[in-house]
Amino acid sequence: MMGKMLLVLALLAGIARGSGDPSPGIPPATCALPDAVGPTEAFHVPLPESAAPVDAPAYYAFPVVSTRRLPGTGLAAGLGEVTFPDSPFGVTLAEDGSYVLDVWLSVERLMAPREGVYVGWLTTPNLDKVERIGALAGGGPLRGRAQWNKFLLVVTLEPADDPGAAMWTGPVVMRGMSRSGQMHTMAGHGAFEEENCAAYGYD
Amino acid sequence: MRLLHGMRVLLLAVLPGALAAQEHQMMGHGAHGEAGGWRMPPMDMTMPMVPGLENALPPVRPFLIGDGMDPAMFPAAEPSRRVVLANGDTLDMDVSVVRRTIGGRDYAMLGYGGQYPGPLIQADRGSRIMVRVTNRIQLPTTVHWHGIRLENRFDGVAGLTQDPIADGETFTYEIDVPDAGMFWYHPHIREDIQQDLGLYGNLLVMPAAPDYYGPSHREELLVLDDVLIDEQGLIPWGEEAPTHALMGRFGTVMLTNGVDDHRIEARAGEVVRFYLTNVANTRTFNVRFGNARVKLVASDIGKFERETWVESVVIAPAERYVVDVRFPEAGQVGITNTIQAVNHFRGTFYPHEDTLAVVSVNGPAVDDAVTQAFDELRENRDVAEDIEPFRALLGKPVDYELVTTVRVRDLPVPIVASMEADTFYVPPVEWNDGMPMMNWLSTGTQVTWILREPASGRENGDIQWRFRVGDVVKIRVFNDPESFHPMNHPIHIHGQRFLVTERDGIPNTNLVWKDTTILPVGSTMDLLVEMSNPGSWMVHCHIAEHLHAGMMFVFEVTEE
Repeated sequence: MMGKMLLVLALLAGIARGSGDPSPGIPPATCALPDAVGPTEAFHVPLPESAAPVDAPAYYAFPVVSTRRLPGTGLAAGLGEVTFPDSPFGVTLAEDGSYVLDVWLSVERLMAPREGVYVGWLTTPNLDKVERIGALAGGGPLRGRAQWNKFLLVVTLEPADDPGAAMWTGPVVMRGMSRSGQMHTMAGHGAFEEENCAAYGYD
Repeated sequence: MRLLHGMRVLLLAVLPGALAAQEHQMMGHGAHGEAGGWRMPPMDMTMPMVPGLENALPPVRPFLIGDGMDPAMFPAAEPSRRVVLANGDTLDMDVSVVRRTIGGRDYAMLGYGGQYPGPLIQADRGSRIMVRVTNRIQLPTTVHWHGIRLENRFDGVAGLTQDPIADGETFTYEIDVPDAGMFWYHPHIREDIQQDLGLYGNLLVMPAAPDYYGPSHREELLVLDDVLIDEQGLIPWGEEAPTHALMGRFGTVMLTNGVDDHRIEARAGEVVRFYLTNVANTRTFNVRFGNARVKLVASDIGKFERETWVESVVIAPAERYVVDVRFPEAGQVGITNTIQAVNHFRGTFYPHEDTLAVVSVNGPAVDDAVTQAFDELRENRDVAEDIEPFRALLGKPVDYELVTTVRVRDLPVPIVASMEADTFYVPPVEWNDGMPMMNWLSTGTQVTWILREPASGRENGDIQWRFRVGDVVKIRVFNDPESFHPMNHPIHIHGQRFLVTERDGIPNTNLVWKDTTILPVGSTMDLLVEMSNPGSWMVHCHIAEHLHAGMMFVFEVTEE
């Protein structure tokens, strides 16, 4: 369990190598970094305005933040928004009853890389399912579709735009977690221990 | 044993406090058995009791009918029967205590006409029928004809359109039925108790055109309900005010057409038309028909503009849907409520499935014109023509806005603390009771659910809307997620019909006339309401406990 968690963290940080790499046989990507800007400015970046062409419920919107792993990306800010696909029932469900959601990604202040391309991805929290939602040009918006109750939205720097890619190979530049991800175990904290752990750990 | 057939009995009881405490499905939760007649509802044993609530009870008296009496004293309820009424016909229908068997155990419950559900009343569109209702229980009651654009004085809202029907009294409803579709009837006074105990039935209004719907081999009703039962029987209701005021009273046993083992026979290749009605207090169902193909045909008040294929039917309390389903091959097909439930303690979603009915599909296979016609999706020009006068108004500015929210007072501190943590994420729709203990302890005396008009600042009964017949009004409703405990609401408008024109800014491309529609948490929806029917009409959330926690108001429609 702990090993799996570490793998997830490593993948999100874009540092997985060797046997921990989820795509054995795929060589590590080589991407040119963006032109450097001062990393110390990369704090308290305001979220961009909604770029989704619909009135997505603000409650389910979530920040997509820079991982600050790459020089020049620290000021980047993003927003993930969700809407239900057109449905006669007001909500849309997958075969197993999971919500089907259109996920909109918009990004600003993400400096263009000298080489490679930024790509948006949707994935489950344990990375067992990954969907490429497109190359990020001009800040978006990109739209993808998630059929999972909890999901992550990540932006990676890929060596090339490969629409058929099943998994990213480059470093994770930005990441965000669906609002549903904030629902996690109350064991050992929260209402049961007078510690509000939900107030930290998300940015 | 003497049957009390026809007796005016309610036998409601404020339960004695001297009952011995008993452990029941409470392992690990302390000795919180019976206290003052209360029993805590069953809950997931993996969820720990919230500290500080071990001995908490709802601050209202427990309420049951026939408590301490042998249910065999009451006449056995019979399955629902179809009653075809011609124009001008009258049906006599009493409200009485009946004996029903659920899961092999007998219960004293309530019935219309001694049936479960109540009689399926069938009438032709455009006709006027009469239903003479005699109350034979000690609870005052009424009958609301849900979705019918009838004369206001027969709408059945206690204290608004009529006085409640007292024990032994009779009230005759004159019901004009201008619209084709599947409607339903239920009490409009303490629905949380009376409807939950079995007072519901359908009113099928037949269209004039024989080909109004596409062809089907047979028709079936699916009246969906749930009832809250533990090993000892029905969990009591709150006497002075409803319990479960936060999320509504979720049941533990699923009932379809009043039974927990509903079975349907079909032949392979047959197209079965299902009329679905959700009569549950609060549960929204996600109904799947195995791997059979499902065609969505109609909803509350008639057909959609276009038939569409759907994976499942999401149906909120009081909504109706009509679907055609073709069962291609022999075998057993489960009709299920397939959901992702929430465990708030673990912070997880988990798959959950209830079987609502089983279809036994037998051979030899049918492959006729009806079977083959199923593959076609019909464009309903008659619906489009009916909507056409309103099409230019679909994009009109919003006339009125409503926001849904909630206010609480005097809830136990542990509940407030837990809820505040819980509210970091609230799903768009609560498919299950993820916090049964806290929900049970919240009552209508502590929780006020609110429809608020931002423009005036007015709330619930203080909202004052006046319209004229012929007005077409756009109402925007926003389900505010930044409240103490947001929840989905099935919004019902009496006496009129409306179109859902937009959800979260996304235009609705397949319109259908509705009287009830679900509003998920955080969402905004626009309703275009045709004010066609004069009178004083109610708007409310159709979660029974939310209605009784204040979530309603009345608007006026005048002739001039």
